[in-house]
Amino acid sequence: MNVESRKRSLRYFFAKVVEPLGYKFTPDAELAEYLLEQETHLEEKHGSPFCPCQGLTQNHEANMKIVCPCIPFHREHFDYMKRCWCGLFVQKDVSDPDSLPQISYEEFRKAKDASGSGEGR
Amino acid sequence: MKNVRMYTLSTCPWCHKTKKYFTDHNIPFKYVDYDLQPPQEQEKIEQEMSKRGGAVSFPWVLIGDDLVVGWNPAKYDELLALSKASSR
Repeated sequence: MNVESRKRSLRYFFAKVVEPLGYKFTPDAELAEYLLEQETHLEEKHGSPFCPCQGLTQNHEANMKIVCPCIPFHREHFDYMKRCWCGLFVQKDVSDPDSLPQISYEEFRKAKDASGSGEGR
Repeated sequence: MKNVRMYTLSTCPWCHKTKKYFTDHNIPFKYVDYDLQPPQEQEKIEQEMSKRGGAVSFPWVLIGDDLVVGWNPAKYDELLALSKASSR
């Protein structure tokens, strides 16, 4: 399967997964195309469409948590940012994705600890 | 001026933006693309990240002793301004 065809398949599949989670593709079409293309390359090389912005390690279980769309494994963190880490998906009410910074998991955890709630990893 | 070094991914657009930010501000930096390293080097990088309490997320930017994980130009600005002030 060529890259363009695989990107179309991933887009179709991902939309079905993220929609019920309250997310949509980023309105930044250029960014979405770039990230999907990187994912097809990662899939070709490593077997799954891993997140292009998180590192693969020797830990298989940890790696499975960064297969796109990885929102269910990082739900509270991503909900807090209103986007996933790589920015391929944003929450449905987001129209200006550039306004959303990446907030590290550690910063998110500190903020949650301060408010008395959070998620484990 | 504080030393700047970073761990990045060759596949990550935010890592590209981060490198561009420092280049555009004429701030010298060193970087290593984690995904292009052999497994032994990757393990060393993971150990350093974990020692500093971070996940294996990118871009990972060390400005002096301050760690910023993620594309965050406002924070880079802030830390670089502090750096300029402290070097006076």
